[in-house]
Amino acid sequence: MRLSRTARERATDLWLAGPATLAMIGLIFAPVAIVAVLSFTDYQFGALTFRWIGWENYATLFTDPIGRKAVTNTLIYVAVVIPFAMGLALVVALGLHNLAARFPRISATLRAAYFLPVAATLVAMALAWQMLLHPSIGLVNQTLGGLGLPAPDWLSDRGLVIYTLAAIGIWQSVGYNMVLFLAGLAAIPPDLYEAAEVDGATKGWERFWTVTWPMLGPTTLFVAVITATQAFRVFETVATLTRGGPAFASDTLVYALYREGFEYFKAGYASAITMVFFVVMVALTLAQFRVLERRVHYR
Amino acid sequence: MKTLLTASALALAAATAPTLSAAQTEIRVHYAIPTIWAETQAALEEAFEAQNPDIDIVIDGPAESYAEGVQRLLRESVAGTLPDVAWVGLNRWRILEARGLTQPLDPFLPEDPEAAGYTGALLSLGQYQGTQHALGTSASTLVMYVNPDLVEQAGYSMDDFPTDYNGIIELAAAIDDLGDNIDGIWIDRHDWRFQSLLGGYGGRPMTEDESDITFDSEAGRQAAELYARFASEGGMKSYIDDQARQAYPAGTLGIMMDSSSLLKRFTEAAGESFPVTVVRLPVPAPENAYFPTGGSGIVMLTEDEAKQQAAWEYISFVTGPEGQKIIVESTGYAPTNALVLEDESYLGAYYEANPNAKTAHSQVAEFAGPWYAYPGAEGVAVTDLISAALVEIADGDAEPGARIEALADTLRDRLGMN
Repeated sequence: MRLSRTARERATDLWLAGPATLAMIGLIFAPVAIVAVLSFTDYQFGALTFRWIGWENYATLFTDPIGRKAVTNTLIYVAVVIPFAMGLALVVALGLHNLAARFPRISATLRAAYFLPVAATLVAMALAWQMLLHPSIGLVNQTLGGLGLPAPDWLSDRGLVIYTLAAIGIWQSVGYNMVLFLAGLAAIPPDLYEAAEVDGATKGWERFWTVTWPMLGPTTLFVAVITATQAFRVFETVATLTRGGPAFASDTLVYALYREGFEYFKAGYASAITMVFFVVMVALTLAQFRVLERRVHYR
Repeated sequence: MKTLLTASALALAAATAPTLSAAQTEIRVHYAIPTIWAETQAALEEAFEAQNPDIDIVIDGPAESYAEGVQRLLRESVAGTLPDVAWVGLNRWRILEARGLTQPLDPFLPEDPEAAGYTGALLSLGQYQGTQHALGTSASTLVMYVNPDLVEQAGYSMDDFPTDYNGIIELAAAIDDLGDNIDGIWIDRHDWRFQSLLGGYGGRPMTEDESDITFDSEAGRQAAELYARFASEGGMKSYIDDQARQAYPAGTLGIMMDSSSLLKRFTEAAGESFPVTVVRLPVPAPENAYFPTGGSGIVMLTEDEAKQQAAWEYISFVTGPEGQKIIVESTGYAPTNALVLEDESYLGAYYEANPNAKTAHSQVAEFAGPWYAYPGAEGVAVTDLISAALVEIADGDAEPGARIEALADTLRDRLGMN
């Protein structure tokens, strides 16, 4: 049997793209659809029956004090982590980039040091943080006490704990963002700086503002989206250091979904949280695609 | 070379085993927390199989924690691959019972359970509405771990350690005054700890039929006030559990109220720095008191009648005196069979060498009672609400009596008790 040329090409297309598409439907789309359906029920993990309850799970998440707490805590965390993780990473990247011209060895060593938290397992690092931040025998408070400064309960003060976790989040993502910024910096053609100098931009700040920052535009947007997705996903530090406590003061969206689903066995409610989280992630991913497609740069 | 030999010997044994064990019944066993239980489970399996050559015990890969263990059992129930027998947390077998997975043990229990060492108090750990769903396999209650060095430094003596809460709070305050880094006392803000203090005052968290919350009583108010006083007078810091469990062995915490199951861990962590000493909890209302019992229990899951008998043989072995002796000696948990305590030939030498264990276990034997699990879909979720209320009380942000009443109302609402 002989197929026409187009039919053969179509068969090849199908053969090449088919398995991946099937896997994606089976492993991503179908589970998401099941979770979406479950989110409208009161299904309990392992239970024999369930009831349809419409949008009740979603209403609970945004009206119940504990559900709302998880949402606001996540937003606070994200709002703190994004600017600091990006700002510090940019400062570090600029410093290392300039240092590399004169002291390449030192620059490379520092780069590795900043990248270490990214490469290390966050759960293990969280345990190290737990020791450091111990209210009475931890190194941080011993040092503060020695200097005559107040020694706060970093992880058990309800007003402070989410900011402590945010600080650890910043520490963890600065290294990764730094590498992205360094790549962005390396891609800026040196003749632009020469041109800027000819035009009268001689001071460091002027050079940064007229050349570096605009040329880093696409990198900055990419880093912003990456940092946001990572910050929204915060889980390991919460699970290992505070378990959402004390009194839900460090509960976040992903930890709440774990807690509701796997500790309380409320699969329906956990599914609703998952869907909200999923929508946020899809929105961020779409934003990222948009940005990359528009190619906001000056080249 | 040696490993190679062992490996080939094992392979050979595995290859020949099926022919030898044609008449064997295979019982699949699930357990959790291998850091505590791995050696114990192996020892129990060996001792049991030596006595029962016709039953082959197959132990599943253990779950990391009781919570994860129950999750796995629920998943296996959906997939139809449940094990025949499971060791679960004493506060978690109700999750399995609520889903109809546990097999009642009443038909298997002996005519006179008391004579077999299953006292009424011990049976109550696994009973719900008159049916025996689980049997306790290891037990723990809340005790006080005391640092005797700090007690002496504060001008007190271990010989007349205070036996009521007023005295303990005074002692804690004196220890707290020893230095900035020294804390007087600590207790976790947690459902089980609260139930323990409540039980000491003779209170109960719920009515017998679980139709109403009863901790908004005088006993409940007193238990909640202890949290406020520990913090305001006794110098209790707002540690999370891990932080306190680091502070006590480090020698910076005077009195640590925690599960008796942590004895081995604290003794090892403190090492030579100070002698870890266990003291029983005060019992302000002796006539009505009990202490909710943590630890593990065992449930039968198999629906196959032939297997049920073999499963029961295993259950009765591990809950009987011989199994209990193995469990107590290797884990440090208190036994759940009265015979091992009555007959000194089982554990006399062990208690001689471990006086702290004797103190803790005598409290279990005297005051063991059920760890109340709140019923229904919100049952686990409300325990976190209790923790949150205790945090507010200890932080001084809420008046204990009023907060406990509000908490009781919230629980009635969430648990559908109105």
